[in-house]
Amino acid sequence: MIEVPEYTGKKSRRDFLNYVLSIGFFGWIGAILYPLYSYLVPPKSPDVDTSNISIGKESEMENNSSKMFKIGNKPGILIKTNEGELKALSATCTHLDCTVQFKKDENLIWCACHNGKYDLNGINISGPPPKPLTKFNVVVQKDEIYVQK
Amino acid sequence: MIIRKKNNRIFILLILLVINPAIIFSQEIESKDACFNCHGILEGRLKTPSDMYKSDIHFRKGIACSACHGGDSKEEDQDKSMSKTAGFIGIPRGLQVSKICAKCHSKEFETLSKSVHGQSSTGSGLIINNCITCHGVHNIIPVKSPGSKVNGANIVSTCAGCHSNASLMKNYNPGLKVDQLDKYKTSVHGQKVFSGDSKAANCASCHGNHDVKKVNDLNSKVYISNIPTTCNKCHGDANYMKEYKIPTDQYEKFKKSVHGVALLEKGDVNAPSCNKCHGDHGASPPEVESISKVCGTCHVLNSQLFQESPHKPAFDKEKIHECSACHNNHDISTPTDEMLGSGEKSVCIKCHKQNDKGFETAVKMKFMIDSLQKDVELANYFINAAEQKGMDVSDAKFESNDIKKVLITSRTSSHYADLEKYINTINEGFKITSKAKLEGEEAVKEYYFRRLGLGISTIFITIICVTLYLKLRKIEKKQKT
Amino acid sequence: MKKKSILKKGYGWINERFKIDDLINFMKKKEVPLYHGTIWYYFGGISLLLFIIQVVTGMLLLLYYKGSAELAFESVQFISAKVKFGWLIRSIHSWSANLMVLAAFIHMFSVFFTKAYKKPRELTWYSGFILLALAMAFGFTGYLLPWNELSLFATKVGTDIPKAIPLIGGFIMNILRGGEEVTGSTLSRFFGFHVALLPGIFTLVLTMHLIFIQRQGMSAPENWDELPEKNKKKIPFFPNFLLRDLLIWLIIINVLSVLAVFFPWELGVKADELAPAPAGIKPEWYFLFMFQTLKIIPSQILVMDGEVFGVLLFSIAGLLWFLVPLWDRKTKTGEKRYWLTYAGIFAIIYIIIFTIIGFIAK
Repeated sequence: MIEVPEYTGKKSRRDFLNYVLSIGFFGWIGAILYPLYSYLVPPKSPDVDTSNISIGKESEMENNSSKMFKIGNKPGILIKTNEGELKALSATCTHLDCTVQFKKDENLIWCACHNGKYDLNGINISGPPPKPLTKFNVVVQKDEIYVQK
Repeated sequence: MIIRKKNNRIFILLILLVINPAIIFSQEIESKDACFNCHGILEGRLKTPSDMYKSDIHFRKGIACSACHGGDSKEEDQDKSMSKTAGFIGIPRGLQVSKICAKCHSKEFETLSKSVHGQSSTGSGLIINNCITCHGVHNIIPVKSPGSKVNGANIVSTCAGCHSNASLMKNYNPGLKVDQLDKYKTSVHGQKVFSGDSKAANCASCHGNHDVKKVNDLNSKVYISNIPTTCNKCHGDANYMKEYKIPTDQYEKFKKSVHGVALLEKGDVNAPSCNKCHGDHGASPPEVESISKVCGTCHVLNSQLFQESPHKPAFDKEKIHECSACHNNHDISTPTDEMLGSGEKSVCIKCHKQNDKGFETAVKMKFMIDSLQKDVELANYFINAAEQKGMDVSDAKFESNDIKKVLITSRTSSHYADLEKYINTINEGFKITSKAKLEGEEAVKEYYFRRLGLGISTIFITIICVTLYLKLRKIEKKQKT
Repeated sequence: MKKKSILKKGYGWINERFKIDDLINFMKKKEVPLYHGTIWYYFGGISLLLFIIQVVTGMLLLLYYKGSAELAFESVQFISAKVKFGWLIRSIHSWSANLMVLAAFIHMFSVFFTKAYKKPRELTWYSGFILLALAMAFGFTGYLLPWNELSLFATKVGTDIPKAIPLIGGFIMNILRGGEEVTGSTLSRFFGFHVALLPGIFTLVLTMHLIFIQRQGMSAPENWDELPEKNKKKIPFFPNFLLRDLLIWLIIINVLSVLAVFFPWELGVKADELAPAPAGIKPEWYFLFMFQTLKIIPSQILVMDGEVFGVLLFSIAGLLWFLVPLWDRKTKTGEKRYWLTYAGIFAIIYIIIFTIIGFIAK
């Protein structure tokens, strides 16, 4: 069949259609690839491992200081003792669930709500708390501190 | 004088006969219990039981020695009356003693066996599971008699006989304190009892008598959550307490209070019972100036702040009761923000009048805590809105744990009665709420972003679909030709 | 013009090596009958599309999902909340799963009513039936993977049913659950089934199914042969039918996105193996009709346990359905049998009604 050149009108319309189709198509591909790419990039938040939390660098922590962290959905407290030993405990007071804090001068853990006191191993030594604080494992690898349940 | 006349002799004989029965009779009272009689004419140590027994209630009820010691109390011949075949056991030793009393007083003995005294008996040494330790022996008189060892006035000394003896208590419970008597002497109860008022509480009033249990035994009258009921036995009885002119509604008030609910309903054994604030053996109301120290054993920060505040010297001067002037004593309820400021329920306006510095400070404090509270509610609203839309707000929720802490800290710092310190604490709170609000808002934004993204991709898809459709039609048209 | 030559060059390169000319020519000739029932031809493709989407989104989810009882729930939460567009991938995966089962059912029923299972397409029907069963198995195993309360109990209820099979029932349940109860071991097992075993078998069977279809072409309706030539309207598969397919596919993809945004799949509460079952536990909707049927069967029928009877009933019904090509033959006189159509209608109505009852029931 002899190919007769078509009306400019039709031809431009066909080209126009193809043109729009290409735009649409590439746009759509873009709308797919952009989320795909974002998905593949690992998010900044720490991964879901509820059992292994990275806290920070050991060298950046002074002796006789503490740091609060989040484990699961609950607060935790990391303490570096005078001797440089690292201890990690749950920071939820076993009395009425207030958040405990580290008391430097008395070298113990204290709950401000009702004056409950724990030693640095989490054992309740004074005041209303009925149970010790839960202990977590601390692992240091290449200066990075990790806390595990 | 020779009695010559026959009639006179008969008369004297008759009189002798009359008098004789008395002698004979009394001799017959004595002679009914041969043991008692015989021992009564012996000497020294062997005579003492009979002498003592004369005053004993058991003797007056006609109970013979053999009832406890065995043997035959009708026989005068020692070999027969004190023979083993007649059941004689001599001086009962150890646990035998109480078992003998239990022959009649079985109920009391059973109770005693289950008590801490009964459980601590080991069968050797001083047997505390032993009726005679407290009641004495051979001279037991009714409890109500003033001379009884277990009478209200005397029981304190009886208990203290062992419980103040450190070297004795060491054998049974080295950890148990031995200062109860000393403390008791300082208490209101002790002072009254020692001055002759036997209505006041003595050892047995609270601890029980035969049924004394360890303090940490759930069934003990002085187990921490049972103490309010024990104290209330007297202190709630309006009739009983009439002459002492103190209120009798403490228990009713305490039951409704924060501490009462925690202790009696929620079972928190760390909540204070009556003895935590009043002392137990040394029970007396705390001095006006020492109330904040007593409350401060748990509520450290509030107490410290109060003691550093301008309120302390002012209260002490006017003899206003610390802590309880605003919070009450027995009916302490959960404090609310209404206690601050100048509203109806405010405690500040009890002393402060319009336009004085304290009044203005109170008003400002109330304003600030109200703003923080509103901000907290706003943050929570955003977080909930985001959550309902299906967004993840676990981080924001974690932050809002701190909100609880900051609200508590702010309210505590009001005890310092200083505006600047208060403002600092409140500002910490605002930092946290704004962070939480931000996260909530972010979540809501994300929600709308998703819809936008959807819209965009839908537009592209629609474009493609339409053009595809047109292209299809075109192709099919071409095919038809 | 340049475009054409690149395509042609590419084609030439492959053709040189694999001689696909005759294959392509064969496929070019493929035609699709155009009649009132043409619309049903699309559902096979739709099921295929949804399966492809499942594979793609499934693989993406695998990058972040952790299949142990301690971490499964948290990992799904992580995907939904923290991973960029994780919510989209997850919701699409869940919605597409349901739509795929629905499309497969529609596809099967349309094949049934158009009698496309008849000779020479029996194997296509058998492989298709197996694919449907596999799809439902996919749904069942996948449902447990988020390890939330609802899925734990739905799985408990679902795996209780095989127990009713006499003799081997307990054994089957043990194999399914990885133990006596539904535990973390069940999760690991189901994870393995869902991402490895089932995809493997499915792909094999699907490939065969597709080869059969390509080799035999689209089936024509029953009375096709009787029509005069000019009334046999057809359209070529390439490019007409394919473009239409593509159109529908695009629309479905959009529908999935809309569903994911406006009706995101919920996370629920983390499963607690020790907690008692919440009231009104139900399996997913495609099991509801069977579940509801079992519920209304009395506990004792003649000498049999009610559940055993129910399982037996469904097994027999399924078997008969599976074997329909075997026993649906035209009578010697060539009369059409309508009773099978009625049976099919009855099945659809039954399924729909019992699914609805299952939804409404407490």
